[in-house]
Amino acid sequence: MADYNLSRLNFLIVDDNKHMRALVKSILHALGVKSILEAGDGADAFKELRHFPADLIICDWSMSPLDGLDFVRMVRTGTDSPNPFVPIIMLTGHTEMHRVMEARDSGVHEFLAKPISAKGIYSRIRAIIESPRPFIRAGLYFGPDRRRKENPNYNGVERRKADKGEVEGSVSSISDKLKEPSGNEDKAASGGDGGGDGGEAPELSQDEINALLNG
Amino acid sequence: MSDDSEIITPPSNLQSKVQKGGPGAVDLDAIERAEQVIANLADDYVNWAKEDLVKLENAYKNLKEGKGDQKELLLGVFNVAHDMKGQGGSFGYELMTAVGDKLCRLVEKLDKVGPKEIEKIRIYVDAMQVIISRGLKGDGGKEGQQLLMGLEVLVQKS
Repeated sequence: MADYNLSRLNFLIVDDNKHMRALVKSILHALGVKSILEAGDGADAFKELRHFPADLIICDWSMSPLDGLDFVRMVRTGTDSPNPFVPIIMLTGHTEMHRVMEARDSGVHEFLAKPISAKGIYSRIRAIIESPRPFIRAGLYFGPDRRRKENPNYNGVERRKADKGEVEGSVSSISDKLKEPSGNEDKAASGGDGGGDGGEAPELSQDEINALLNG
Repeated sequence: MSDDSEIITPPSNLQSKVQKGGPGAVDLDAIERAEQVIANLADDYVNWAKEDLVKLENAYKNLKEGKGDQKELLLGVFNVAHDMKGQGGSFGYELMTAVGDKLCRLVEKLDKVGPKEIEKIRIYVDAMQVIISRGLKGDGGKEGQQLLMGLEVLVQKS
């Protein structure tokens, strides 16, 4: 196997847990990455982006005061964002389907489930390298094209119909696969933590997450 | 929301900065080295986990004593448990991830706690302490599986 040389890429790791930052940094170093900057939360990371030319961001979800999703939205749609196109890998233990979709809809490129491994991290980096995606501005969304299977040839600015049905189709196919009770999507759509209704959304494996994101 | 979307070509992509193959490229050895780095950090992980267990114990104590808003106190327990869940398996302590997940699942659906819920949370916190004190790596082997089964029984009873 001979793959990519990552030594020219600048990585920004955003995680409020210093141990996880140390782990991700060590893995990246072992993969040949030389330029790595760390930030302890989304606000710090956003400040760092003003002077650090990140090629790729690995970002945890659960942080405060600004969590991973807030950070991604700021990077993508903030009027003062220094780098709205930077690829972002969301790293998290939240792997329920509605969480994955929420992360995708905030504008992340890839989703990596904890526990992490070197192979897992590299596979997500490689996916970003090998499948560069155009960006889409649709309504409130700005981020990488969420319809990964389609790879249209395009030159400059085009316009097309947003295919909402396709997204819903991929969600329901995973739903069926997981044999979730009907109505779960409605619950998931609320996106809240601990609704107190006693229901549990099943967590997805990395393979299931990839299948969901790839439609 | 409009049905129309605008497609924008990003100004650059990573392919312009990476080379395939050659010296320094990721290969199976590099992946193996990176996995070894994780294994080497496992000893450090035990110390980190002990620090987290102290935080978890404090969060549990605050919840039990009802010092403040219950949702906030529950979130305090959830956040530590969630961190431990994420870290455990990354450092070869998959059993910690499994038990941490159970604690997260319990706590995240609660709005308030009574004696029953406090007892259940205590059982999971104790189990996480046992995993570290007895060094139950991986799935914990036979002892780990007994711990998991015992947990279920205790939680069902409480």
